Amino acid sequence: MCRLILILFIMSCCLSLKAQEYTPVSDVTRFKDQFAVTAKKIETIKSDFTQEKNLSMLSEKIVSKGKFWFKKDNLLRMEYTKPFDYLMILNKDNIYVKDGKNETKVSTRSNKIFQQINKITVDCVQGTVLSNPDFKTRILENKNNYLVELSPVSKGLKEFFKTIKVYIDRKDYAVNTIEMDENSGDDTTLHFTNRELNTTIPDALFTIK
Amino acid sequence: MLFGCSSVYKNLQPAAGDLSSLEKFKPNFKSALYKTEVDVIGHHLSGLLLIKTLPDSSVRMVFSNEMGFKFFDFEFRSDTGFKVYYVIKQMDKKAVITTLQKDFELVMMHKMDDKTAYVRKDGSNLYYVFPQQKGYNYYITNLSGSELIRMERSSARKPIVQAIMRNYSNGIPDTIGITHKNFSFTIGLKRIER
Repeated sequence: MCRLILILFIMSCCLSLKAQEYTPVSDVTRFKDQFAVTAKKIETIKSDFTQEKNLSMLSEKIVSKGKFWFKKDNLLRMEYTKPFDYLMILNKDNIYVKDGKNETKVSTRSNKIFQQINKITVDCVQGTVLSNPDFKTRILENKNNYLVELSPVSKGLKEFFKTIKVYIDRKDYAVNTIEMDENSGDDTTLHFTNRELNTTIPDALFTIK
Repeated sequence: MLFGCSSVYKNLQPAAGDLSSLEKFKPNFKSALYKTEVDVIGHHLSGLLLIKTLPDSSVRMVFSNEMGFKFFDFEFRSDTGFKVYYVIKQMDKKAVITTLQKDFELVMMHKMDDKTAYVRKDGSNLYYVFPQQKGYNYYITNLSGSELIRMERSSARKPIVQAIMRNYSNGIPDTIGITHKNFSFTIGLKRIER
């Protein structure tokens, strides 16, 4: 019986993120201020992540895991370790990608869509997402989370996303999940766990050779 | 000049072969995920290709990059139909889509009409030839038919595309390689255990 209750409890916790109804935030200014204050205090983030690509029509999920490092301003490293190796480093305007033996370096300046997509992740963790002119925003809340819904304004981004949902923990105003919904009904979710704030992260982790 | 016009297939001899012996090489993509590398004229693209057979026996192929951004979503129907569910603007060109469609039809061993097929051989291999609307699809095995050496999409004279499938496990190849001969374009697939 105890075990059953425990299982039900865990299941309900897992479901709670989406299942609980979200309503528009009553005090938008207060939320924005709090979010900005919290984001301002964040110098670095170190976290594990789980990425879930959900292919709705195929009833398939592609799950991958890895580590995430962020350092102000605009330094980001995402290292996928399961079930494949893939490394992406964003250093200001430059992106370095290593897949297997292959290394690629690109400037985000040369690719507008790539620049906008990377800006989303950085904006989310940096707290500047609410002022990103590429999106219309709507702010919702429930008992546990705030939900910032971003709808792309530009044609280029609209082709990729219907909405981007950023789930923010009410307790500490930290982003715990980013969900990117495509027009097709498929989506990609990034879920952050074991988050450590403001630990020392060496710049070398973000060096693009 | 004379050499340039002759066919690489011209010395093949008519042979007897059992078309059904190819059945064992036909991949059974119930659901398989591949780490994918594409190199096209100096550009490198990597990502994940999910191949899944749906209950109506159609095969769906979804290619996205490692971070989840989708490049294409194609459907191959067993009755040889083909449908594009999604393709990014940069790839949305008829020549690109038709090339990918034909390459993957070769690998999936679709469009193999027994009625028009014939078999040829040389000293070391059997060539199962399937005429297409344009050109031919070749499935080349060793003489005993136990090993699939390679597959080819060809014109009357020479191969346009060569492909391999290796190391099957439960009917699903672990490695798939597709190489174009007339321009720099290769696709490499390596299965990911989930």
